[in-house]
Amino acid sequence: MFSHSKTRLEDFEAAAIPYLADLYRTAKFLARDSSEAEDLVQESYLEAWKSFHRFQPGTNLRAWLFTILFHRIHHFRRRQVKAVRMEHFENAADADNLMAPPIVPEEIRDEDILLALEKLPPEFREVVVLADVQEFSYKETAEALVIPLGTVMSRLSRGRKLLRRELAEVARSYGIGPRDSKTGEGNAR
Amino acid sequence: MNVLNFDSKLCERTRRQLDAYVSNELLVETTAEVVRHLENCGACSSELESRLRLRAGLRRAALREMPPAHLSQSIRQRLRRAQPGLLAGFRGATWVWAVAATLAVIVGGAAGQQALRLHHARQTVADILLLGVADHLDCAVRGHNYPDLARSQDELLRRLPPDCAGLLPVVEEYLPGFQVLEAHVCSVTGSPRKYVHFIARGEGALLSVVLTRRDGMSLPQGRLLAADSVADVYRAHLNNMDVAGFQSRDYFGFVVSGLGQDRVLQIAQSLAPPARVVLDRSPAATNGPREVSKLGEAASAL
Repeated sequence: MFSHSKTRLEDFEAAAIPYLADLYRTAKFLARDSSEAEDLVQESYLEAWKSFHRFQPGTNLRAWLFTILFHRIHHFRRRQVKAVRMEHFENAADADNLMAPPIVPEEIRDEDILLALEKLPPEFREVVVLADVQEFSYKETAEALVIPLGTVMSRLSRGRKLLRRELAEVARSYGIGPRDSKTGEGNAR
Repeated sequence: MNVLNFDSKLCERTRRQLDAYVSNELLVETTAEVVRHLENCGACSSELESRLRLRAGLRRAALREMPPAHLSQSIRQRLRRAQPGLLAGFRGATWVWAVAATLAVIVGGAAGQQALRLHHARQTVADILLLGVADHLDCAVRGHNYPDLARSQDELLRRLPPDCAGLLPVVEEYLPGFQVLEAHVCSVTGSPRKYVHFIARGEGALLSVVLTRRDGMSLPQGRLLAADSVADVYRAHLNNMDVAGFQSRDYFGFVVSGLGQDRVLQIAQSLAPPARVVLDRSPAATNGPREVSKLGEAASAL
């Protein structure tokens, strides 16, 4: 019985551990704290292992692990919600008014992109991370977050606009100046 | 805020579809329409280029974020401790668990329990030794927190809390053929634990001597657990590193390197007795385990 269990655990590890980096960086971007991200990922793996007998072989293990991770993240966020609310955009709805946010200059650094991502409200950030970083389809994103497909589409669109607006601000602070989105021309740094 | 005057309704429609286009979620027919428009519209293709660039930049930046080296091992250890897969197929039927547990006790008897205790004790040893490995990997290997040329002894002493100064000559003496490059107090990201860390180079490898407070933890005793039950030194191979560890009254000590298990054990065996003498001379050891030592005070001040 021990050897059977060991084989089963080894099967689980062989299949699930390769997604550790993907899960960790997603948790890090959502929790915005390395040690919380580590806890979230560890708890997710434990939960996945406990439920592994329910996993259907042949289906998408990566998506299943992300569903479990987001369950943990949402639980974590409910504990954090009051603190987080004060930190984020109070005017997220403004994103709807940005018909064409400024084009992001090429000179923007990777660090700036990650900082801008961190400033997105969590409901937009999680969709952007899944769709644009993890390259999940709309359907997979909807399943992982347990939200309708239409909500994924609208949050992704708004999230990307907010991200571009934030990066345009960064560009302005560098004196790069966002390029005109019609001509593609901008100021040199 | 930029407000654009679109040249045509076609531009407006294309831009509404760009998000789905970037995500490769459009139907084939719609994709063809968008592509046709992009071929003839500089503004929209420039807009698309910007969106693709941002998406690629976001992914590139995000992929640079890597999990800490110890995380994979920590997860594997927790999974082994959890053991939920043992009777996973019987979940939900509590009485089956009870019967199975009773049968296991009867059938397995004392031998089974002893095997289980040994398994748990080995797990505890690995968990403790991992403290030293994590600090070596995080600070010395990945962090490269040591100079290429060894610091002078005065400089090394200045970097240590006063109570740990006595450790430096011990480390130097019991690491023959090694050059002590660095000494400092450090911590692993995400953990409040502090470490006194000596980094040395010799025999073609980097080696760490790591000391940290036990904080209530103990290396379990037993001939089957310790690699050297006389010197009370334990060893393991974790995260591709060889580690040997020992404990004093209040501290754990670790020797970590890629030199091979036997060599690392040999170094720890010679280092452990004099290191224990220095460590147990500290105020923490004489004042009892609940007292915070100067080492702890100095470390927590960093």
